[in-house]
Amino acid sequence: MTFPKNSSGRDCVRAWDTMPWVLQNSATQEQGEWLKDHLAHCESCSAEFAQQNRLQRALSLPVDMPLDANAGLKRFLGRLDTADAQDESFRMRSGSWLSRALVAVVLIQALGIGTLGLKLWSTGNSPAYRTLSQVPVPVAPGAIRIVPDADMTLANWNALLHSLRLQVVGGPNDVGAYTVAPMGSASTTHTLQQLRATQGIRMAEPVAVTP
Amino acid sequence: MNDDDINPDVTDRMLLQRMSTGDRTALSVLYRGYHGRLCRFLSRLTRRPDIIEEVINDCFWIAWQKAGTFHGDSRVSTWLMGIAYRCGLKALRQHGDEPVEDDNLPEQRTAAHDLDEDRELRDWLSKGLDHLSVDQRAVIELVYGVGHTLDDVAVIMQCPVGTVKARLFHARVKLRNVLPALAGDSPKLKENVP
Repeated sequence: MTFPKNSSGRDCVRAWDTMPWVLQNSATQEQGEWLKDHLAHCESCSAEFAQQNRLQRALSLPVDMPLDANAGLKRFLGRLDTADAQDESFRMRSGSWLSRALVAVVLIQALGIGTLGLKLWSTGNSPAYRTLSQVPVPVAPGAIRIVPDADMTLANWNALLHSLRLQVVGGPNDVGAYTVAPMGSASTTHTLQQLRATQGIRMAEPVAVTP
Repeated sequence: MNDDDINPDVTDRMLLQRMSTGDRTALSVLYRGYHGRLCRFLSRLTRRPDIIEEVINDCFWIAWQKAGTFHGDSRVSTWLMGIAYRCGLKALRQHGDEPVEDDNLPEQRTAAHDLDEDRELRDWLSKGLDHLSVDQRAVIELVYGVGHTLDDVAVIMQCPVGTVKARLFHARVKLRNVLPALAGDSPKLKENVP
């Protein structure tokens, strides 16, 4: 910061710094008296102080702007009203949007539950699996699992079953085994022996019930 | 800060507190109380009444919204003046700080109210301020017109006190160079100007 050439003296610098605060009446009494003494014998600072004084008087003149505080306030309150109305409208729009979104979510959820229920109902009540806690399918007493030869005729098969008083209760399964059960009270052991001795029967075993 | 400053500030703080609860009556009181001061301050930044009114309302718009967050770190007047200063700078960036044509100035009102001496003084000041930047005009008004301390001005302009001192110094040097000539003073002083 440089100082004007004509005020290079230390006292003039001090006077320059003090002038605004003396004009404001915020300087100390000591500062005010010192400046007064300095101005009395410094023509340059005295002229500067006079100009500062005039500047302050000019700045204190009434404002020459035709602005009416009440008119400005009215416009400002109108602006607040507009903003409040917009806020209210925005809140209502936000609330309406939220309600619609919630209804849509509930509808989608209900639709999903309905579709799932329909699918479960259409697949039946019996699941495609069995748990160990479930009661096994009952097996007829004396049931025998038989695997006949592939070239055994139906007539021979029927004749065999008829002669041993057996009836098919299950099968054939994936390996071609049938489950047969005696229609009378014939001994399973005897029936097995006869089956195993018959030509065209590859395997005959009693059905073991899982404990 | 003296007693004269304290009491109005207490009142202003109460008004702000009421404004924070949405009290428009308090807002109206504060608005009317500061309209003249803000108008005077902003008239140093621009000569356009439309911009001045816009800035005053922008200033109170912010005050209305921020009233609840005023913590009293400064006086309410300093706080409001700072908001007005920043709003004023923003408006000048948007609209430009060129004055309106003389035809649009309130000529009739000025003529009706001013004595010849006052009108001459006003004209002298206006021409002098034309040589200053916006920041320098603001500092001159805040120090000589409103009577703020350097610390207050630093708060209003949100800059260090040293910056305020520099702006004040350069503004005074410029005015020292141009004002005597505008007033038709002795050539001796003009010769001494650097």
